[in-house]
Parts: sequence; C-alpha cells; structure tokens
Amino acid sequence: MRCHSNQKKVPSNDDLPKILLIGNPNVGKSVIFSKLTGHEVIASNYPGTTVTFSSGKIRYRDNSASITDVPGIYSLEPTSKADEVALNLLNAGADALICVLDATNLERNLNFALQLKELQIPIVFALNMMDVAEQRGIHINVMDLEKELGFPVIPTVAIRNIGLAEITSKAFACMEQVAPVESFTLLSSEDRWKEVGRITAKVQRLEHRHSTFWERLGDKMMMPFPGILIALLAVIASLGFIAGGGRALRAAVLLPIINDIYAPFVSSVVSSMIPEGIIRNILIGDYGVLIKGIEWPFALILPYVLLFYIVLSFLEDTGYLPRLSVLGDGIMRRLGLQGNDFIPLMLGYGCAIPAILGTRTATTYKQRLIVSVLVTLAVPCISQTGAFIALLGDRSVLVLVLVYFLSLCIIFFGGMLLRRVVPGQSSFILIEVPNLLMPNKQAFFKKIWIRLKHFLFEAGAPMLLGIAVASLVAETGLLIDFSRLLEPIVVNWLGLPPEAAISLILGIIRRELAVLPLLEMDLTTIQLFIGSVVSLFYIPCLAVLGVLVKEFGLKTAAVLSVSTIIFALFFAGLINQTIRFIMLVL
Amino acid sequence: MSLYKIKKSTDCIIETVPAQKILEALGIRKGVSVKVLVRQPLGGPIVIRVGQRDIAISPEYAKLITVKEVV
Repeated sequence: MRCHSNQKKVPSNDDLPKILLIGNPNVGKSVIFSKLTGHEVIASNYPGTTVTFSSGKIRYRDNSASITDVPGIYSLEPTSKADEVALNLLNAGADALICVLDATNLERNLNFALQLKELQIPIVFALNMMDVAEQRGIHINVMDLEKELGFPVIPTVAIRNIGLAEITSKAFACMEQVAPVESFTLLSSEDRWKEVGRITAKVQRLEHRHSTFWERLGDKMMMPFPGILIALLAVIASLGFIAGGGRALRAAVLLPIINDIYAPFVSSVVSSMIPEGIIRNILIGDYGVLIKGIEWPFALILPYVLLFYIVLSFLEDTGYLPRLSVLGDGIMRRLGLQGNDFIPLMLGYGCAIPAILGTRTATTYKQRLIVSVLVTLAVPCISQTGAFIALLGDRSVLVLVLVYFLSLCIIFFGGMLLRRVVPGQSSFILIEVPNLLMPNKQAFFKKIWIRLKHFLFEAGAPMLLGIAVASLVAETGLLIDFSRLLEPIVVNWLGLPPEAAISLILGIIRRELAVLPLLEMDLTTIQLFIGSVVSLFYIPCLAVLGVLVKEFGLKTAAVLSVSTIIFALFFAGLINQTIRFIMLVL
Repeated sequence: MSLYKIKKSTDCIIETVPAQKILEALGIRKGVSVKVLVRQPLGGPIVIRVGQRDIAISPEYAKLITVKEVV
C-alpha cells in the first residue's frame, strides 16, 4: 500500500520541529496519525501493520511541526527489521514524542512508557482505546497516572476523534517549554517492572465481569475446534463473496455498460474521425487502447479488487487474522515459516507488494525470503484472479479450481523445499493476539477507498501501457515476428497458438496481462489450463520486481525473476506434454 | 513444571523465564499469573493469558518457561 510501499520523505523543511508518534504495536498509532495529518495510511487490528514510517505535517495555531508514524515496538531493543526502522527514527532525535498507550493493557504499555522517559525527550501520552477498556471493566485514574508519569496523559478514543485535538495542543505546548532536567537513575529492567506494578496498582481498578460475547468468540476462534470450522466457513464465505459478487457485478452492471453503451459509442466516434488503418486499429481494434484499456481494468478486474479489499479490510480490522495465524502455525512450520508469516501470504492474494513489505515484521531473513519467493512465484494477485475468472469462469470452472489447487500445491511443496535449501534459522511464533473488535465503519470504508485509489493509480497506468504495447505489436506486424521467434516454446512445447506469445511479453509488465490476451483467442480447455498455469507461475509484474530489488538486492531479484520464468515455462510445458502423451496412449 | 505441559484453564504463576528480551517485553516474566487458554496440535502454539492479554507462544518457548500451579 502506498504508505508502506514507499518511505515518504520527511518534509524537506528540516527546521520544523519533529514529533514522533510511538508506542507498542497495535495501539492505534496509525489511526491517530491519519486523523492528525489527514494523510491516508493503512491501519489494522494486528501488530505490525506499519512496517516503514510515513511522515506528515500538523499545525496548531500558527505553528507547524512534522510528525512521523513510527512502527510499533515493544521495547527499545530491536527484534525485527521493522523494529530497526523504529529505533533508527528514535535515535535520530526528536523535539517531542507522542506515546500511545493501550488502556486495555496498561501494565505492559507502562513498561515501554518508562523506558521512553529515560530518553529525556518531552512526551505527551495518549491513553487510547478508553472505550474498549471501560467495556471490559478497566478503570484508569488519568490524573494519578499523569502525576506518576510526570507528563500530560490524555484519554483518547482515536477512532472516534475523542481527545485528538488535545494531543496536538499539548504536544506543541510541551515543545515550547524547556523541559526541566530531571535527574533520575536509570532503572534496571526488574526495578522498572516493579515500578510498573506499583503505578498500575495505584491508578487502575479492575471490575470483575464475565467475559463478553466477543471475548469468548475470539478465544473459540483459536481452538482447534470450533476454530478450524469457523476458519473454513470464513474462507468459503469470502471466496463466495469475492468470486460470486464479482461475477455478478461484472455481468449485471459493468459489462453491459461497457459493451452495449461505451464501446459502440467510442467505436463510432473514432471510426467517423479516423480513417481505416493502423491508428484506428490501435485505438479500437483487437487490442484497442480505448476499448480494452477500459474494459479490462474496469469491467474485468476492478470488481474483484473492490470485493477482495472489502473482505481483507474486514478481516484485518476485526483482529481475526492473528487468530488464523495461531491456527495455521502448525502447517506453516512445515514450510519453514511460522503462523505470523500467514498474514503477508494472505496480503499476497491482493498484491505482492504489501506482502513482500509486510515480511519486514518477520524476524529472520530466511522467513522473509521464503514468503517473498512463494508470493512471487505461486500466489496470484487479485488482478490476476479477476483475469482467471474472466478467462475460465464461463468456460471451465474445473480448470479454474485446478489452477488454484496447483497454486496451493506449489506453495506447500515449494515451502517444504525452501525450508531445507534456504540457509539460516526460522523463528517460532510469539505474537500478541489483539482484541476481537467490530470494525469502525468510517475507518473501514476509508481503508477500502485508499486501497481502491491505490489500485487505480498504481495499476491503471501500467495496464494501459501494456495494452498499448499489445496493440502496437499486433497492428504493426511485430507480433508475427515475435511469435515466430517464440514458436518452439509457445507452440511446440506449450501447445498454445503462436499469437499466445503476446502473453509472455505482456506478462512481464503486469500479472493479469499474461492472462487477458488469451480471452481473445479461441482455445481448447487444455490450452486454457496450460496458458493459465504459465501465467500463474510467470514472473510477477514490473512493480513487484522493483520492490524485490529494493528489499533483497539486484542479484536475488534477478535470480528470482529468471527462475520464475523458467519454472513457469518448464512446468506448464511438462503438464502439456504429459496430457498429450496420455491422450495419445488412450 | 513446564508451561507447555500445563492443563488448560489452570491458574499458574511463572517461576522462570529464559532471558529473551521479547518475552519480557510482552509481559511474560517471573511472578506473573498465567493461564493456558488454547492448545494447538501438530507442534502449534499454545495461547496463554498474561495480564489482560492473550499471547500465542510456540512450544519451543513454552517448554523453557516453568510455572507453579496456584492451589
């Protein structure tokens, strides 16, 4: 996603005072950040959503300051790549800290707060999730806590804007005051916990109540029974919603608009203005930029992107994903991974970029690499899924199911293999399970909107470019030359028609473009299957390649890209030859 | 007794914890009360309640943590 894919530069005006937004994972820092700055960052209900920082500007009266959303950390010692990002930011110095504390988990958050105090930077504490704490019978005396901490403590419900204005004013106020140099001794970790215990006992009152429905459900979701049953139901419901809903949207709304209204209109306008020839064909021919450039992204892909992100955002905001991590840990271990790596894998079904960046929370390089290889090789992104459904949904649902089954098999066996060949250690699961919550409507819709916008901007241009390339090579006759060049592979080995060479060229630009040209060809069921298998394992898109280079270096990225191409062609061809051999024998 | 061997829903107090910063930072430390909520098969984690939080913890860690049952 935008906020996590590029580290936005801290505003160039270095003279602005610097505020860091800091705290334990999953306490609501990103929510506060986006509310304070108006910037759009993705916030979710699980630890480790923010893996790189984003910065923005906040204003108060005539003053402004830069504010940075720092990835969550449990202590001032790093345990993962994301932790290093956080600590580097902190070590670079700041004029003030806004430290977000989770009111439902005061004790542990206070331990972090006391560590921060030792840095001698002015702090404003935001005691967040006060509403959830109240529901759970946790009462905190804010005045007493403020006295104990020696810095302002503001009770907040960030998601509903409660207390946020006060955080801003207090943050600016504390930067203006010259902080009294407090002389205190650094606490040993044992003494610090004692101090935490003393403060907690003083300021927190726990009212005993029976666990709520949500708490009980949250626990049940992690038990083998009924947890696995619930997980299966969730998967079936999600798939039904995305695949069924997407097809309905496409068939009932989008395709009629484009095929019956838009396309005839554009065709007639272009035909009346531009004489027959290459230019007209490029615009409205087989790969007409004005026709396919609208139909493919908007009618074939967009519905699935929208529905996928509705489901993903819902699962993220409820806090269900870490529970799936707990359930899936046993299997993930066999792939050289652990439960928590399940979340980036799942993100990969949307887009490989946030998935690869999401591996920064993984604690070892081995795990980062395994997840990234699996996502790059065998996890189809949602655009590609949309393309698969467009290609196979009407022709052969069996092939569609087979393609996804094959993808799962390769993820599984690929993981088992990588576990053995990738050097290094894998870590073991150790994660905090967040509260199960009903998503906040406003935040939920905003997140879907951010992701949709991101898709339109980041995917729209390369897709148009791809279609333009396709129509150029098709109309200028270059395609025939390419096809002849690739004939031994495409025709002899893969058993596809020569013009399918276009898929191999466009597939480098974007994943779904390896699939969509096949729509325009008259393929047999076997050819559909083979074409889908090639594009499934084929090199991911250019944007993913860029991220791989950034995260793992040029060499690893190059090796990965070349091996995915070879694997896709080899494996699909092998299936093709086997099927043909069997058919010959029979 | 090792935390990994404790039956579900038994109230315990943590006696020893291996020196791992991340365990401490998550609030898993000596003298804290703890309860096993969930047990996963196939070498999967157990989920424990420490304070007001649920933490999923792998057998490798759980075996190294010793606890005492509260009678």
